Amino acid sequence: MRRSVIGLIAIAAATTLVAAGCGPTGTSASAGGSAADTSLVYATGEPDHLTPGRQTVAFDQVMALFAPLTWIDNSNKVTDLAAKSVTTTDNKNWTITLRSGWKFQNGEPVTAQSYVKAWNYEAYGPHAWENSGELAEIVGYTDLNPAKGKPKTTEMSGLKATGTDTFTVELTHPDSQFPMQLTQAQTGFFPMPEAAYKDLAAYDRKPIGNGPYEMTEAWKDNQPFTVQAWKGYQGPKAVTQKVTFKSYTNMDTAYTDVQAGNADVVFLPADKMTSAKGDFGDHLYSFDSPGIDYLGFPLWNKKYSDPRVREAISMSINRQEVNKAIYGGLYTPATALTPPDMAGTQPGICGQYCTFNPTQAKKLLAEAGGFSGEMDLIYPGGDGLDSLYQAYANQIRQNLGIAKVVAKPSADWASYYATLTNSTVAGPHFGHWGALYTSQQNTLRSLFTTAGGCYFCTGKYHNDDVDKLMAKADSATTQSEANTYYTQVQKRVLQDFPVVPTFFDRYSYVTSTKVTKLPSIEGSPVISQIKVS
Amino acid sequence: MTETVISQTIEPTATIVGKRSWGRALLTPSFLVPAVVLAILILIALLPGPIAGIFGHGDPHACDLGRSTDGPANGHPFGFDLQGCDVYANVIYGTRSSLSVGLLTTVLAMAVALVVGTAAGMFGGWLDTVLSRLTDIFLGFPFLLGAVVVLGSVGERSVLTVSLVLALFGWPTMARLTRGAVRGVRGAEFVQAGQAMGLSTWRIVTRYVLPSSISPVLVLATITVGGVIVSESSLTYLGIGLQPPAVSWGLELSAASGNFERAPHMLIFPALFLVITVLAIIGLGDALRTALDPKRS
Repeated sequence: MRRSVIGLIAIAAATTLVAAGCGPTGTSASAGGSAADTSLVYATGEPDHLTPGRQTVAFDQVMALFAPLTWIDNSNKVTDLAAKSVTTTDNKNWTITLRSGWKFQNGEPVTAQSYVKAWNYEAYGPHAWENSGELAEIVGYTDLNPAKGKPKTTEMSGLKATGTDTFTVELTHPDSQFPMQLTQAQTGFFPMPEAAYKDLAAYDRKPIGNGPYEMTEAWKDNQPFTVQAWKGYQGPKAVTQKVTFKSYTNMDTAYTDVQAGNADVVFLPADKMTSAKGDFGDHLYSFDSPGIDYLGFPLWNKKYSDPRVREAISMSINRQEVNKAIYGGLYTPATALTPPDMAGTQPGICGQYCTFNPTQAKKLLAEAGGFSGEMDLIYPGGDGLDSLYQAYANQIRQNLGIAKVVAKPSADWASYYATLTNSTVAGPHFGHWGALYTSQQNTLRSLFTTAGGCYFCTGKYHNDDVDKLMAKADSATTQSEANTYYTQVQKRVLQDFPVVPTFFDRYSYVTSTKVTKLPSIEGSPVISQIKVS
Repeated sequence: MTETVISQTIEPTATIVGKRSWGRALLTPSFLVPAVVLAILILIALLPGPIAGIFGHGDPHACDLGRSTDGPANGHPFGFDLQGCDVYANVIYGTRSSLSVGLLTTVLAMAVALVVGTAAGMFGGWLDTVLSRLTDIFLGFPFLLGAVVVLGSVGERSVLTVSLVLALFGWPTMARLTRGAVRGVRGAEFVQAGQAMGLSTWRIVTRYVLPSSISPVLVLATITVGGVIVSESSLTYLGIGLQPPAVSWGLELSAASGNFERAPHMLIFPALFLVITVLAIIGLGDALRTALDPKRS
């Protein structure tokens, strides 16, 4: 679940790199960066790390400094960026060939070894690098992460450099979505130069990348730092020459700063959603994004084990009204298990159970034997979710005629997360998944299979049919074939109705009047393509 | 000889604190106006149901999200809050929480202050030193910061727990005042006379010392009630006071603050009640002080 929120920020941050329609090919490199000395102040939270294998909240920064192997655009088309080609015959053994002539910002050439070494270092268990999980499908990953003791080897057997520009990746099982996993927000797949290993702590403060911007100074705690367009970049050139990342502990302060013109772009904090339109007018941007909000359930609890109870709860929530009152109309009511910007999602697949219908809801609840006692809605405190959960509580209480429905914040994120992992959560609870790439695979696998990283976020839901269908999608030879299986997965999961999908996220940003264009991908601005006047 | 001295000393004190001032003070508008306002507020706190229902929508938990932040309308004189609940009903029901916290906190704090202050003032010596330093330590805590820390670690936050925490940091000023007043009376001849007559310390304290030293504490306590109500609202506004589904002015203010420009009525009405209550209480305190001031001509 932690990941999920990270995911959110991630994607929020994610689109750093390229504007819509820059199908970057090595040759088409220069789109002609503007000569003017333009600059931009980008408001973010404080980074945790700037090493791509470690960062969990610094997507904006890292994606400005590095270039991914493949690039995904808003139509979910995957093109090669740092890679010349990513090929396979069986979805299991992949060959990645790099474009020639690419360099790191210190002049070192980018070679197959830059990837292999970085991935091995990241995957090595004792290093405990945060994004190591992104590499978990590679053969040999488990050898580097044994359940007990020190790993006997330092390299994954499934990862081999076969030439200066070519390396092969063997996966533990066929996965048709692998090229999508190499796209811009999965920073765990980024390369590192040889220079990094001499002093990783210093590298974390002043990383050397292969992307559109380079560091001009080391990052110091709680200090803004500036990156400058790098002349040697082989991908689409940065439009804005200088970007200053300024971190805030309170995003409401950042919001006010953007209003005052002291910063130029900020992710819209939840509690400002209703006032942003009035404050910013045309400078409020809202993008479809790969995140979904839902209510999870303690499925082991008798009060909630009947699917009809969960369906009734779902039908008792008027998502349109909640959206208007709480989100200022910026979100989209959920009608499926994945948001529509995920490849192949069929909005509306949830059908009547995601449609507000208090009469039917009451009837369903009565059929299931009614509801006795108090219903607690659990959500992490301190994240600005209070109004939302009070609204849910009011809706459920009034529309289902349950005497006492209480929105209960946990003390903080950690204590909320603990109640999920140790299965002690007292009632329907906050759920969110923000994917790092726009395949349904990521969301469906994470939430609805035990192999996924967040199965405890959905009451430890498990269904063999779902597992089988997911495996079929992994072996699919085309994206559309995979998508058909994902649709079947959604249908099967919705029969059991383990979660109540509530909203498709829309990531919103507000900008100063200086910003004239805010292109986005996967819901987040592409920093190098933001235009300022 | 001794008897005349005693009667002379006691009698004038009793008169000053007693009938003369009280009677006159009660008749001035500076006492009557706040007293009447407070009486109405207490009535509201005791019977929120019927009063909230005057306009026909008396349930503070009946919310229509579709009317979120709508302004005053027929049957909803104060409009709707963010959740689409009737602001009037919430303000009326909130009166009870706010007044309860104010009164409960003050009573608790005053009880502690009287015990500590009297003990320190009456017995002096090492007990005085210990209790006075203890008072200083608590005075040294920034009030709001202390409350934030303690409330942050309290699991369930109700009127009782919030009052307890506020009282924890509210008693030292009153304790100091009590100590000073008790010390002033301790050496008085009527106390010495009581001791000479062999009365128990308990009797001397409750019958002679406290009655003659309590008036400044009472005045301060009255004003404290107003201060506590404001503190409760501030803490609730910061998200560490009362929690929904409780109803209080602080909660209303908290929900309203983010939408002030769009829907000012959500903030204005609860704030108005808060201001009137606090003004009335402070006005009453002032009137009492004037009435109880022995130096008043």
